[in-house]
Amino acid sequence: MTKTGMIDFRGVNKWFGALNVLKDITLSVEPREVVVVCGPSGSGKSTLIRCINGLETIKDGDLIVDGQRLGDPATNMTQLRTEIGFVFQSFNLYPHKTALENVTLAPIHVRKIPRTEAEHAGRELLAKVGLADKVNAYPAQLSGGQQQRVAIARCLGMRPKIMLFDEPTSALDPEMISEVLDVMVAVAEEGMTMMVVTHEMGFARKVARRVVFMDAGAIVESGTPDEFFSHPRTDRSRAFLSKILRH
Amino acid sequence: MIWQQFLSLAGSYPLALRGLGMTVVLSLISLVLGTLLGFGLGILRTGGNRLISSVIGAWVDLIRGTPFLVQIFLIFFILPEFGIELDAFTAGIIALTNLAACFICEIVAAGIRSVPTGQVEAALASGLSRWQRMRQVVLPQAMRIVLPPLVGQYVLLIKDSSVVSAIGLTDLTRVGWLVVQRVPNGLLVFFLVGVGYFIVCYPLIMLARRLERRMGAAHGEVQL
Repeated sequence: MTKTGMIDFRGVNKWFGALNVLKDITLSVEPREVVVVCGPSGSGKSTLIRCINGLETIKDGDLIVDGQRLGDPATNMTQLRTEIGFVFQSFNLYPHKTALENVTLAPIHVRKIPRTEAEHAGRELLAKVGLADKVNAYPAQLSGGQQQRVAIARCLGMRPKIMLFDEPTSALDPEMISEVLDVMVAVAEEGMTMMVVTHEMGFARKVARRVVFMDAGAIVESGTPDEFFSHPRTDRSRAFLSKILRH
Repeated sequence: MIWQQFLSLAGSYPLALRGLGMTVVLSLISLVLGTLLGFGLGILRTGGNRLISSVIGAWVDLIRGTPFLVQIFLIFFILPEFGIELDAFTAGIIALTNLAACFICEIVAAGIRSVPTGQVEAALASGLSRWQRMRQVVLPQAMRIVLPPLVGQYVLLIKDSSVVSAIGLTDLTRVGWLVVQRVPNGLLVFFLVGVGYFIVCYPLIMLARRLERRMGAAHGEVQL
């Protein structure tokens, strides 16, 4: 038996119809490791992390998360999802609930934490992401950056073992990107296992242990941020980097 | 002559009140039952089980595609042939509930489908169970779409209840038929019958209009 990481892809394939969106993916993420996934749009990076909490299902290969094999009848997917936070590009806050209610919903109903306790923890989390004064605001009253920070607090409220970020800053105005990245850096520095799909190379340099470059459904290159940014090994990664670093 | 007719009509007011009461009771019971059943069917219709969804869809199409009068005759006159004896009141409740449930099912299903998939994914990702996702995330958002046409549907249901007079229930419409035999002024009698329905329906019409305005503006929790 080989050593298992927190997230273990072993020869994973996935098709959308005839399109092979994930090609023979093998990747292991250790506990407390931060991995940044980048690549051109349509390269399969979002699909890759959506597979980890079962928002997408895999066709063949093995995907083992926190010691449990996905698709195995013995794996309780709902239970496993409580251990995995997922931050969406479009935030997906519940518009009919306040910031605090967004954060406390799952702890109260899934973790069965008493309401007062959950609200206390929720206020602390919102303070931690710099939104102590927005506890009772509805998502529509918040800016994009604020919404995304509430979304991160919502994930943290479940005390997950893993956090997945699917282009968390791509829908934000430029001046709001750093407030979200700062929160993500803080989460990473506390030792969270993270996989982050992003083109924010500053973030990658700062906290990522590894950068994974994907193209056309396959992992083309993988290495430390320094190796990847300074000495990309393939033409495709060089072409990609020259595009995103030009500005 | 008109004056005499009025006096004679005034004498029928206890009957008219009974008829109005019957209309209200019939409508209210089938409205409550139809709403519960309609929400259940609407949730199942969008629940992802193809078989259940298409069976419900076929039933809804069948009910929506046949006249209510025919449905009520089938229930009241045909079911006894198969040994199911129903009194007119029960038959009326069943027919109206079924009709309401079918229309409400489609309204609820449309509301549920209007909730963005991102919402369901967020709820899924945080480990909410199927029922919790429905109860906490999907339905409250669907209600904004559902409420205005739902109340509108109640108005239609109250008016459709007049058809039960055809199987002998003494509702407001049947009271009209009875009275007009004594007071031969159809225009006057059925004008008053119409007024009776309007008095019941108008507050609901106002409510539907108010809801429509509120739902357009609201971003918070839906409150009645």
